[in-house]
Amino acid sequence: MFILDDILVKPFTSILDILHTMALNELYDTAEIRDELKENQLLYEVGERSQAEYEERKQELELQLEMAEQIKSQMGDRIEVKG
Amino acid sequence: MSENVYTYGIVEQEDITLDVAGVKNATEVYTVEYQSLAAVVSDIDTTDPDRTDEDVEAHNDVLQRVLEYDGGRTIIPMSFGMAFKNTRTLKGVLRGARPALQSTLNDIEGMVELGVKVISTGGERGSQDVQSDITETLSAVSINETENDLFSDRLILNKSYLVSRSERGAFDDAIDAIQETYDERFTVQYTGPWPPYNFVDIHIGAEQQRGGR
Repeated sequence: MFILDDILVKPFTSILDILHTMALNELYDTAEIRDELKENQLLYEVGERSQAEYEERKQELELQLEMAEQIKSQMGDRIEVKG
Repeated sequence: MSENVYTYGIVEQEDITLDVAGVKNATEVYTVEYQSLAAVVSDIDTTDPDRTDEDVEAHNDVLQRVLEYDGGRTIIPMSFGMAFKNTRTLKGVLRGARPALQSTLNDIEGMVELGVKVISTGGERGSQDVQSDITETLSAVSINETENDLFSDRLILNKSYLVSRSERGAFDDAIDAIQETYDERFTVQYTGPWPPYNFVDIHIGAEQQRGGR
């Protein structure tokens, strides 16, 4: 019974673990947020975004980046960001 | 008072004083000369300045001013954050790096960097033909080029070009022609002149520059 539990549970937990890590990677991908900051700046510079839109988005992204960096440093090696 | 000096870049030996806002609210930028070279510096009270948006902007503004100084100067730009204990330490670094600095100055003499970004306006990715056309047009009027990061899906081209000051007019015309050809499909963002950031590759050891020797 113990062996059966182990076999049933193990693949399941490892998939969950992978999904969890992938979700965290997505959410806390600092490179992606930095790219979005650069895109925001570019679209503002070429006149596609107003100053208000630019400032608002910049603030959102900076906050997101700060959180992502904090969480990444707390999680340490548990999160590996690809790309 | 601190004797620390913050370095913006290196030019051919010359006594220059600029009345411009520098890093960490410095009010005067001047040169520290060593043989055939001169470092463009301002006073600072640390050897490890924080990287803030304002100070990065001040760093770039100073480089821009030197680039345009008195009809134009050739400058090797330093990356943000190069501060030395005092002018003696700085001169020691200039002495050590002089061959590399001098040969780089010779290589980039009379040249500036220009940035070109082509942005898709209607979601079009830009075919290979469009990219080749733009690239070939600009390569013909430049000396060298580097490909930069395509950080947005909207970007179809992001390059820096090394252009001789005497070819600036021809490069401007090429940009106008591209903008005209692809009007409404793509926006061209054309920036500069910049010091040739992407075309110099000199590393000065951090230990050496921060040390008090």
